[in-house]
Amino acid sequence: MLLSLRWLRELIDLPLDGSTLADRLTFTGTEVEGIGRPCEKLKGIVIARVTSLETHPSRSDLLLAHLDRGGRKALCVTAARNLSENDLVCYAPPGATLADGTVLGEREFAGVVSQGMVLSAEELGLPSVETEVGILVLPEGHEPGVDAVTSLGLDDEIFELSITPNRGDLLSVLGVAREVQALVPGSQIREFEVDLPRDEAVWPVGFKGITIADAGCPLYGLGFIDDITVAPSPLDARIRLALLGQRPISNIVDATNLTMLFLGQPLHAFDFDRLPEPEITVRGARQGEMIRTLDGKDRLLEEGDLLITSGGRPVGMAGVMGGENSEVHEGTVRVLMEAAWFDPVRVSRTSRRLGIASEAAYRFARVVDPARCLVSLNYVHSLLAGWGAGRPEARIQVSRQREWDLHEVTLTRKKLERYLLWDDLTEAETILYRLGFQAQSRQEDRLSFIVPSYRPDVRIEEDLIEEVARIRGYDDEIIPSRLPGRPKDRGDIGATFRLWRKLREAAMARGYMESVQYSFISPESIEAIGLGEDSEERLLLANPLSREQSVLRPLLLPGFIEALQANLRKGWRQALRLFECGDSYGGGDGLELFREKRRFGAIVFVGKERQVLYGTRRREDFFSVKADVDALFRACRVRPDYRPGKLPFGHAGQTAMIHVDGEAVGFLARLKPILEKELDLGGALYAFEFDLDVLLERDLPSFATEVPFPAVLRDVSFLAPRNVAVADVEAFIRSHGGAMLDKVELFDVYEGDSLPVGFRSLAFSLSYRHADRTLVDAEVEADHQVLREALESAGYRLR
Amino acid sequence: MSDHRQDVQQMREAFAVALAEADGSDQLEALRVRFLGKKGELTSALKSLGRLPAEERPEAGAAWNALRGEIERALESAKSRFRLLEAEAEEHRQSVDVTQPGCGRPYGAFHPVVQVMHDVVDIFVGLGFSVASGPEIEDDFHNFEALNIPPHHPARDMQDTFYLERKGLLLRTHTSPVQVRSMLRHGAPLRVVCPGKVYRRDSDPTHSPMFHQLEGLLVDEDVSVADIKGCLEVFVNEIFGRPLKARYRSSFFPFTEPSMEMDVECVACSGRDSSCRICKGTGWLEIMGLGMVHPNVLRSGRIDPERYNGFAWGMGLDRIAMLKYGLNDLRVLFQGDAAFLSSGGVL
Repeated sequence: MLLSLRWLRELIDLPLDGSTLADRLTFTGTEVEGIGRPCEKLKGIVIARVTSLETHPSRSDLLLAHLDRGGRKALCVTAARNLSENDLVCYAPPGATLADGTVLGEREFAGVVSQGMVLSAEELGLPSVETEVGILVLPEGHEPGVDAVTSLGLDDEIFELSITPNRGDLLSVLGVAREVQALVPGSQIREFEVDLPRDEAVWPVGFKGITIADAGCPLYGLGFIDDITVAPSPLDARIRLALLGQRPISNIVDATNLTMLFLGQPLHAFDFDRLPEPEITVRGARQGEMIRTLDGKDRLLEEGDLLITSGGRPVGMAGVMGGENSEVHEGTVRVLMEAAWFDPVRVSRTSRRLGIASEAAYRFARVVDPARCLVSLNYVHSLLAGWGAGRPEARIQVSRQREWDLHEVTLTRKKLERYLLWDDLTEAETILYRLGFQAQSRQEDRLSFIVPSYRPDVRIEEDLIEEVARIRGYDDEIIPSRLPGRPKDRGDIGATFRLWRKLREAAMARGYMESVQYSFISPESIEAIGLGEDSEERLLLANPLSREQSVLRPLLLPGFIEALQANLRKGWRQALRLFECGDSYGGGDGLELFREKRRFGAIVFVGKERQVLYGTRRREDFFSVKADVDALFRACRVRPDYRPGKLPFGHAGQTAMIHVDGEAVGFLARLKPILEKELDLGGALYAFEFDLDVLLERDLPSFATEVPFPAVLRDVSFLAPRNVAVADVEAFIRSHGGAMLDKVELFDVYEGDSLPVGFRSLAFSLSYRHADRTLVDAEVEADHQVLREALESAGYRLR
Repeated sequence: MSDHRQDVQQMREAFAVALAEADGSDQLEALRVRFLGKKGELTSALKSLGRLPAEERPEAGAAWNALRGEIERALESAKSRFRLLEAEAEEHRQSVDVTQPGCGRPYGAFHPVVQVMHDVVDIFVGLGFSVASGPEIEDDFHNFEALNIPPHHPARDMQDTFYLERKGLLLRTHTSPVQVRSMLRHGAPLRVVCPGKVYRRDSDPTHSPMFHQLEGLLVDEDVSVADIKGCLEVFVNEIFGRPLKARYRSSFFPFTEPSMEMDVECVACSGRDSSCRICKGTGWLEIMGLGMVHPNVLRSGRIDPERYNGFAWGMGLDRIAMLKYGLNDLRVLFQGDAAFLSSGGVL
């Protein structure tokens, strides 16, 4: 909200400069985000009176204006046609600076030297206050020779306040003044009284009255203004609005806006003669009812919207926006001025649903002060009467459905001490008194306060404590810093986080870079890897920022691929290893259905460089990546199994499902080469992902503590059918190797043209060992021979 | 008598000269043959001992044998010296350029935000807080209502929410829902921190639709504002590696009462540079929101607000990472940009 400091100072004596006040407000919860000085570039501009006007001797389109600038004379050449003798104007002599930073000098117009210029509203930096083309003519009351910036109030400082949602009461000059009075010792709000007649008699104009048919409007007041002349409002009102970023419109509209800015009560003016009937009814909208609001848009209403109607027809959306049909216009003669209290939730719901962020709705949603409601009608009446804009009816009509209860909240010494380590109830009372809280009942250790009507946010004792605390501040002299005592237990980083830490450290040690990807991805990135069909399992955002970020990722791979592509586009050519520990959402990746799972995912891109330093030793392949998966699992003390698998995006011959304790927990795969080509990667891409939860809470490893007796080593080498997995061969050897067989290690795999088709050569190193004694060759030989025969008869061809 | 002494001395000197000239094991062998071989000089001298008078023989024999021992030892030691030299020469032939890069993968790289998350967690674990976690896909109750944010409350405008098409689900807008989940699970007293991803419908250089927060909650008997100040000041000094001045401004959050914001002195300029880009010349950085837990939130967590109270805070980890590592564009953090990630080096 923008606040005029000058306006504030009109209401409250303030022994502070603007920036000190801004600090004070900021520290007590009303952040001043900036202080604007809209006309700060204006310099040296003075008030002047046009003493005489004559036409330029050689150019009939120009006028010579003789000016009196307070005893000194000046001559200006102007093209404006709206000047008359005796007009007061803003005059910029040579050396003065205009709003856009232009510094004026003397300038010759066809033989006549113009000493500076007389100014338009735009040249003053306030184009919106202009009411006619040409020079801005000032009303009487400004003294020639005086600095125009001061005289017109253009030297104002405009505070940009960030008002928190609980403090609707601060959305007005009066509200801020009340706050400042509590913050700044020695400041005092000036009395301003507006007469408030309580007469609820019927007007003599044939108005049939107010009907309230909805509990959402417990208080509704109407003023009546007759003999209206719609015209621009006075210059000072227009300047005030312009400085606050509002566009002056007409005396009626400006008066309602100024009243709202001053007192916080939104008002609405109906053209009385355009109402369908001389009556107002407030009721709930019917489903499907329509209204055209004054911005020209047709709005579809729902049950629960609060409507102002006349003769059964909607004329306004209560607290949100008026209807076009009853809007004040140039020919308006009679106005009904509405001031009401509308249910904040109802206003908020309607304005959010329809996306109407009006100043009125903003204030109603933050709860207006019911006690200010009717006062504001009198204030707007007095403004309009003072401007000669119309003749307000002295009485106002009010429909009141209920009274507001006074709210009482108790503050105890005990709680004050607990929160603030400070228990001075007397000082607390002083602070609260300045904020408008009246102490009601007084006991030694507790005080009850009546909450002022404008502070509906204060409802419990903690609220009172905050009021006291924010005024006192939180500096160390007021409340020290200390560490909380009596912890129940040591802090525990927890199993999940511990696991994450192990994995990330292991992954980084193996050359992977940690990344964080967006949780939402594009549907295309999912389809790109062949996961399109299970779309009913996807979790879609109802209101995504863009299609690129509209689906919650079912697995980490699509994001990685997009990141890789982006890197390649930026010219990355080397191998790339990325990992992330993060959630995946929804189901349908071929593993199983799930909603939100903590996953570890990684990619290894082999790179586009044809030449790799140190040759093939550094070239990534399925097995170099598999070693990483093994290492990561080993870091978590888990031994994974790999089974050939099938995934929509997985290479038909290089895809493995990772199993732990018989359960599939993830995959390791090369991307299908056809996808690598479609995605234009220019190299092979390996990926693996697994769920973290299965790795949690593993047992401690057991170390071999006894020194073993020496082993006897034997090698066995044979041709095995290509389609028998090494894991199966190994299992066969173990089951036929006898009780003394200890270790089985593959040490050579050979496939080549020299071998029979469909076969490959495998060579294992076996170690036989006895737990209690050193073995002799002969014992091993017997067992080893049994194994060789078993292999032979199972179809393996020994070499 | 003097003759053979002279002869022995002459041969000793001759051997010394020859040995000094030798520069390889081959020449050592030639030397051995020349002096100690069957027809070698010393062998011949020993053979000619018979021609001496009997009384001179023992002494002369001893002298020649002593020389023989000297020569044998000298040859042996020269031989092992040459062996070492030759081995070293072989090593030189195998020399590598030690300035060439190592073979194998270089160390990876950490992500600044994740690193900060782990660092922050460590600091609070040291203060007795345990890590808690909760889902990112939340419901209205945990994300809003349980935190004292009823439907249509203007406070909902503070956070623009992503909703899922599946009715009733949303992406959490803050880590605060974990507060309630932790209270329901563990009761009081309680000390937890909840790090994680959060989501808001906002995207510009300083706002990412996904970012990271760390929520903290302490519930106990007789907790005061002094306690949270102490905890957070320890945290700030640890994470930035030096003591920083802190200040507190009143603020509003629906789930705390009283509520504050914490500012710390600018990590870049310490308030000494009025044109500082980081603090915009104010000398202060807004670092987190905090406050005393609202009694309604304690009630949502089924904790008796008359017996217990507590404090809570929420900080943006991305912002802290950016301040700590001097980053200025939030969005680059989540693009998996290899050049960016690898530039950060190692831990």
